[in-house]
Amino acid sequence: MGKISTLLDEVAEADIKNVEVNYRGIFQKTLARKICKTLVYAAKEEERTGFSYGRYSDAPERNGVPCKYFAVVAEMSEEDLEAEAGAKIEPNDVNVSIVVDDTMVKGVEPWGFSGIRPINEKVKLGGTLLVVSERSPLELLKNVAKKDFPYKIAVVPGKHSFSGLWVYKDDFTDARVLGALARIEPDIVGLEALRKVVPEKLGAEKIDALNDGYKSVIIKSIAPGEGIDWPYSIPTLPKWHEFKEGIVVKSVARGGRNEDYKRFTTRTMRPVIRFDTCIKCDLCWYACPDECFDPTPDGLFDVNYNYCVGCGRCAEVCPVPNTIVMVDELKFENNDSPYHEYKKDKEAYIEWADQKMGEKRVNYPFVTGTGLIEENVKKNDGEKG
Amino acid sequence: MAEEIVFEKIKGIHKVPREEFYSSGHRTCEGCESAMVMRMFSKASGPRTIALGTTGCMYVANTAYMTTPWVIPWMHTQLGAGGSAALGTSAGLRALMKKGKIPEEKINTIAFCGDLGGADMGLSAISSALQTDYDLLIILYDNESAANTDIQATGMTTWGAQTTFTPTGKVKRIMQTRWKKNVAGMLAAGHPNVKYIATAIASFPPIDLLNKVRKALSAGGPAFIHTLDPCPKGWDYHPRYSDKLGELAARSGIFPLYEIDHGTAKLTYNPPKPRVPVKEYLEKQGRFAHLKDEDFQYIQQRVDSMWEDWEIPGIIPVRNGTIRSEK
Amino acid sequence: MTVVEGKLVESQKEELLTGCEAVAHAVMLADVDVISAYPIRPYTEVMDAVSKLIADGKFFAEYIIADGEHSQFEIVKHASAVGARVFVGSSGTGWMYAMEAIAVTASDRLPVVALVGNRALDDPGAFGVEHNDALTVRDLGWLLVWASTAQESLDTTLIAYRVAEDPKVMFPTALAMDGGFLTHSQHMVRIPSQSLVRKFLPAYNLGDRRLHPDNPISIAPQVNEDWVMEIRMQNAEATKRVPAVIDKAYREFEDVFGRELGNPWLEEYMMEDAELAIVGMGTLAMPAKAAVKRLRSRGTKVGLVRPKWFRPFPTELMQKVLSRVSAIGVVDRDFSYGSPYYGGVLFNEIRSTLYSSKNHPTIANFIAGLGGREISIADMIKMIQLTYEAEEEGKDGQVKWMGVRE
Repeated sequence: MGKISTLLDEVAEADIKNVEVNYRGIFQKTLARKICKTLVYAAKEEERTGFSYGRYSDAPERNGVPCKYFAVVAEMSEEDLEAEAGAKIEPNDVNVSIVVDDTMVKGVEPWGFSGIRPINEKVKLGGTLLVVSERSPLELLKNVAKKDFPYKIAVVPGKHSFSGLWVYKDDFTDARVLGALARIEPDIVGLEALRKVVPEKLGAEKIDALNDGYKSVIIKSIAPGEGIDWPYSIPTLPKWHEFKEGIVVKSVARGGRNEDYKRFTTRTMRPVIRFDTCIKCDLCWYACPDECFDPTPDGLFDVNYNYCVGCGRCAEVCPVPNTIVMVDELKFENNDSPYHEYKKDKEAYIEWADQKMGEKRVNYPFVTGTGLIEENVKKNDGEKG
Repeated sequence: MAEEIVFEKIKGIHKVPREEFYSSGHRTCEGCESAMVMRMFSKASGPRTIALGTTGCMYVANTAYMTTPWVIPWMHTQLGAGGSAALGTSAGLRALMKKGKIPEEKINTIAFCGDLGGADMGLSAISSALQTDYDLLIILYDNESAANTDIQATGMTTWGAQTTFTPTGKVKRIMQTRWKKNVAGMLAAGHPNVKYIATAIASFPPIDLLNKVRKALSAGGPAFIHTLDPCPKGWDYHPRYSDKLGELAARSGIFPLYEIDHGTAKLTYNPPKPRVPVKEYLEKQGRFAHLKDEDFQYIQQRVDSMWEDWEIPGIIPVRNGTIRSEK
Repeated sequence: MTVVEGKLVESQKEELLTGCEAVAHAVMLADVDVISAYPIRPYTEVMDAVSKLIADGKFFAEYIIADGEHSQFEIVKHASAVGARVFVGSSGTGWMYAMEAIAVTASDRLPVVALVGNRALDDPGAFGVEHNDALTVRDLGWLLVWASTAQESLDTTLIAYRVAEDPKVMFPTALAMDGGFLTHSQHMVRIPSQSLVRKFLPAYNLGDRRLHPDNPISIAPQVNEDWVMEIRMQNAEATKRVPAVIDKAYREFEDVFGRELGNPWLEEYMMEDAELAIVGMGTLAMPAKAAVKRLRSRGTKVGLVRPKWFRPFPTELMQKVLSRVSAIGVVDRDFSYGSPYYGGVLFNEIRSTLYSSKNHPTIANFIAGLGGREISIADMIKMIQLTYEAEEEGKDGQVKWMGVRE
């Protein structure tokens, strides 16, 4: 047995490349799948083998909830690659972690009791965190956990590409991300192979986007210790005899919330509230499907940003223009109570809120990712950073 | 000491109970309307309630071991078991109270099931529960698909909608060729014992669902509420528009809102005429992106027929002794 | 039926009851709170009897006629979760129709007691006994016990509540009875008094797992792969606590009711110096005993082993009893198409049990009495003879279908 147990620690020598795509459930499911599938086809073009898979535990995907999709490529037989890397929930680590919505750099919590995990959790030594973003790598780093080894943060310039189940927003983000990947890790996928595969799999019109992604990607080396101390702890799963038989969980205490599943990593935007223009109609509180609004003694409603998923229903039902506006999540540093800030210094809060909101209330197309109700879609200042 | 249950009518949003019995921290979609159903029914019913959730979106989304968002006691039940879970719970409580094994008091028993579990598989068990004299409420939260398995068609999916079982294709544009079942009407017509039946939309008109739940719980016997829940994921619209979609469903008349209280039927919302064309409701959903004008016209004509030809518009498809399903 | 000397003797009320009626009386004596019925032969007779007892005011229970077996089992599962003692049952395809509810009842660790009146599975429709219906629960966490007489049916029902509801156990329990031969055959049954039953059977108490507004809990939230192994392990370990509870329940039953029940796990008939054992469950013990007795009278050293509790399986005891003989004939009233040796379920369980014993007896398997076909005394003698022959010829693991027209 001695010989066998030493084998347990042995790392496979085979050079297997793992890529993950962090994406927002449903909104980016098709995008993530297209990226991974095209990557595998390109690997085949280069006479390598590969396969792709989604993280099974993400299903059923919920709008906005962080999910993962993976692609694995290597120079070995399919049988050997599948033996080394198949039948897994997710890879132990990845060469490249792609993030198709930059607000996920604040952490990802896919389900209850998993804890809020750093976006670069799986990035291995020398690997890359590749983010679709309009921000610079160093700006993003303000949210990212430090690692004790060097890696890279790369940015392919762009805005998150959200669509729905039935209508895909074909804004070429798929090709741009693949182009960037070819630049960062040519060992995973070469530009030439992609140039052959992309027209067939994603469309001939996407060649320019592919080249553009390759050219425009910004890459920054991150030294050990650069980044933030991760503020969230990852829960320890109890042993079989450490929890009750009979699949029973104690209910939430009256007045409380589910402490083991705070939902804010689902959010790409948060509602910013002008308490001073609020008419106390209660509609925001009434319309919130996540029970985030807390009544205050003076008839206003505080928001608990730990649980807000940023759906925007409150902003939509609010009858007073520009009193609740949805704002890019990356503009904020914490989930502190806005009502407390307001009570502390009203003028400072109003100024702060106005500055975050921008000038106009935002209208959106109904069908995600389309311009179906084009006349209603106004240039939005609030949304962008 | 148990709190006394007072089921008074809620007049205005300001009077809606502030306390949450289904709290934050559930894995529902952004903008989820079915989560609103959970939130509203538990607000209306209060702390002396046992909730039973069949397998479905509001099971898997709402509870992730070892966490729960439920403040009131809650138990999982199987997909087709909404009716039997309510029945067993209510019967168990009544037996224990009659035998003096637990204190006599009113405890609300509410089972909720999705359209797949309630309107398809579990219809028989619901029918059975509504034949009894037990005090129970069954809520069918209808998001028009098996949303938990990533959107498959059910007997409640709107005609023509795309789902993963009814995709649009090169040869067949429309795979969902079934017309939505009229579950509340069907249950009302065939269950003389049922005390209260209603349809509702959680966010439109506001407070309507809360008051219907209260009426159901004080009806003194089995009750049933069917809610239509716009689903941002399966219907493919931006989550912020759930309220708007619910309102359009009511205003276009595609989902009539009514109640049948101890046998007396009444429309609780009469869509102002002219009704909003159903196309305005349908075109805002990606699942109908493949429909053509003729399809919208077909749906419009059947909705019109429901309002103009039925003896009790929107409720029972009978006129002059003929059962009408379509013009 | 032996009266234990010096111990309290129960009131001697005796009635001529079918197996089903005997169980109905036990349900009444256990003061069950919620019962859910749906008709299917042969178990139905228990609900016929229960409903009459309720109609006559002999006891009170919420009695619900369900819309199908799935609902039946769901109804009692949920009643059990709020703290009510429940009774339910089914047969054959009805049992299969309820299977989803049956599976979750065990996972929810709710001590539902169910009667399974063994019946052949469709197709084609058939009413007669076969053990396949009950055996479907063998991997799920249900405790499973076979009775072979009406008296044993009544006694075991009371024991089932006692064991299932023990805080160390909390598993549902199925009492299996051969359709027709036991469910519908009338025998004199001694009915214990209510006061003694109360003494034997404490009130059902779910403790802090009871679903009630005073004890707000969530039962059975969705899990992912982070939890399933641990939850299964909890259940697996809990099943190991069951045997001691069963042993104690039988001893206390004897103390309270003043009747000896013998070994809870299996009945040994003329096994003292046996060289060959015939093994089978349920009513086939009847012709088996007659066959054994006749062969014994001619000097053949043969005995019968009738397993009672199939889950948990009495592994060590079975090993101990059966490794004393040199040949075993296992009679299965079930089939398991394509199984090891194409043999029956009981046969393969017993073979597995004996794998680690030093003595490896020859084991022969007989598939017999399917679909309610009679197993005669002559059939039994024939099976014993064939087992001897298998041993002599050194042919281990032979499977023979008995009584088939060939």
